[in-house]
Amino acid sequence: MALAIGADDLIENPTPRVPVILCLDTSGSMMGDKIRELVRGVNLFYDAIDEDDDAHDAAEVSIVKFNSEASLIQDFSSVERLQRRDAIDATGGTALGEGVNLALDTLEKRKSVYSGAGVLYYQPWLVLMTDGQPNGSAVELERAVQRVTDLVAQKKLTVFPIGIGTDADMDVLAKFSPNRPPLRLRGLSFKEFFEWLSKSVSRVSRSTPGDTVKPDLEGLAGWAEL
Amino acid sequence: MFNEFHYQVRGRGHELDGTRGQDRTAYLSGRGIQVLCLADGAGSASQSEFGAQAVVEEGCALLIEQFGQFDTSADAEQARQEILERLHERLAGVGRRLGCTFADLASTFLAVAVSAERFVVVHIGDGVIGYVKNGELRVVSAPDNAEFANQTTFVTSPDAASSTRLFRGATEGVSGFILMSDGTSASLFDNRSKTLAPACAKLIEAVAVAPTRQVKSPEHKKRLRRVVDTRLREATKDDCSIGILARRS
Repeated sequence: MALAIGADDLIENPTPRVPVILCLDTSGSMMGDKIRELVRGVNLFYDAIDEDDDAHDAAEVSIVKFNSEASLIQDFSSVERLQRRDAIDATGGTALGEGVNLALDTLEKRKSVYSGAGVLYYQPWLVLMTDGQPNGSAVELERAVQRVTDLVAQKKLTVFPIGIGTDADMDVLAKFSPNRPPLRLRGLSFKEFFEWLSKSVSRVSRSTPGDTVKPDLEGLAGWAEL
Repeated sequence: MFNEFHYQVRGRGHELDGTRGQDRTAYLSGRGIQVLCLADGAGSASQSEFGAQAVVEEGCALLIEQFGQFDTSADAEQARQEILERLHERLAGVGRRLGCTFADLASTFLAVAVSAERFVVVHIGDGVIGYVKNGELRVVSAPDNAEFANQTTFVTSPDAASSTRLFRGATEGVSGFILMSDGTSASLFDNRSKTLAPACAKLIEAVAVAPTRQVKSPEHKKRLRRVVDTRLREATKDDCSIGILARRS
């Protein structure tokens, strides 16, 4: 006689989440091919997550854009609910500090939601992309650097500062990444970067306790200048 | 007397990438004590299945030898030290034999030991230990996951001593215990409400009513293994292991 264990006898726990927040420079200098390729890359990122069995259930993505001010254009959502974009306007200055602070605030709120709902999650990822020099509030920039470096030191955040083009201020980006130098995107290879990012998210979502998921540095060679 | 059942199955993730399962279970009885141990080898540790095997074997022997002391001692700190020293000593020997480091043998550790009247529970890391007392299913020890889903404490972790949870009590009213690795807990433990699935009580009951006569491959164990191989294993890519001590009906 079979042991009668029905669906009601078992628990269906939510899949542990991998929160990924993209903090994107949409200042005037991004106008043209840069912003078009960036938007195309983000949409490809969504598609790649959608097609990956592990990442599909685990990844939650949010987007903060910053120009003369920062704004949340995509709150954390699973891939089914992510809104594909045709375009993002590129205009104004580069309030990088404000953008990062909004990204971190959004992340903290999401972590509270997870904790309140009993949803397990992995170390969050912050992807910071800019093509220029920050010209927002110096205080906000300093606060953002401090918050990010504190979280990285406590192993509570993985950060990927990415410079776009030759004008990106790599020194400022380096301040956000004490353990790893920032990377400069080779040309406009956003597509390759976001393919790499989706694969990395998939690896994290497959990890179990004790696994140390380090960025796949070999994979970086496909899209970045080291 | 308690009936026992323990079993581990390699997870779908390990099967896909051709690696060995890292969960291990063991049972031992002697001196009027019955012990069930379970360990989940760390994914990042290269020889963790050997570490897991070593700690379940050593844990069983230790709890039979020291049950009386652990049950009565007022000094929990000393008990924690003693347990870890003994497990570490065994792991050091395994490390020498395999030529690997201590950290290569990392695993969690869950144990339940029972005498006629008392029980002792030891838990390091994730996984869950529960019991049925006075007909009610309760959690004895919940997963220790720190902030992130892929973080926990192992027997080999620097903070293992402070993270070792010890429980003891009377077996009166207790009809059974259940131990599970984190893979199994995906379908037997509700992370939101921190409660056990109703299936736990059914599994304990199935072990409790099992025939006691010795046969080579008892039918009830086949049925229990089938539940693990299908229902529990399908819900996760991780290894699944389970241990049950159930008072004979």
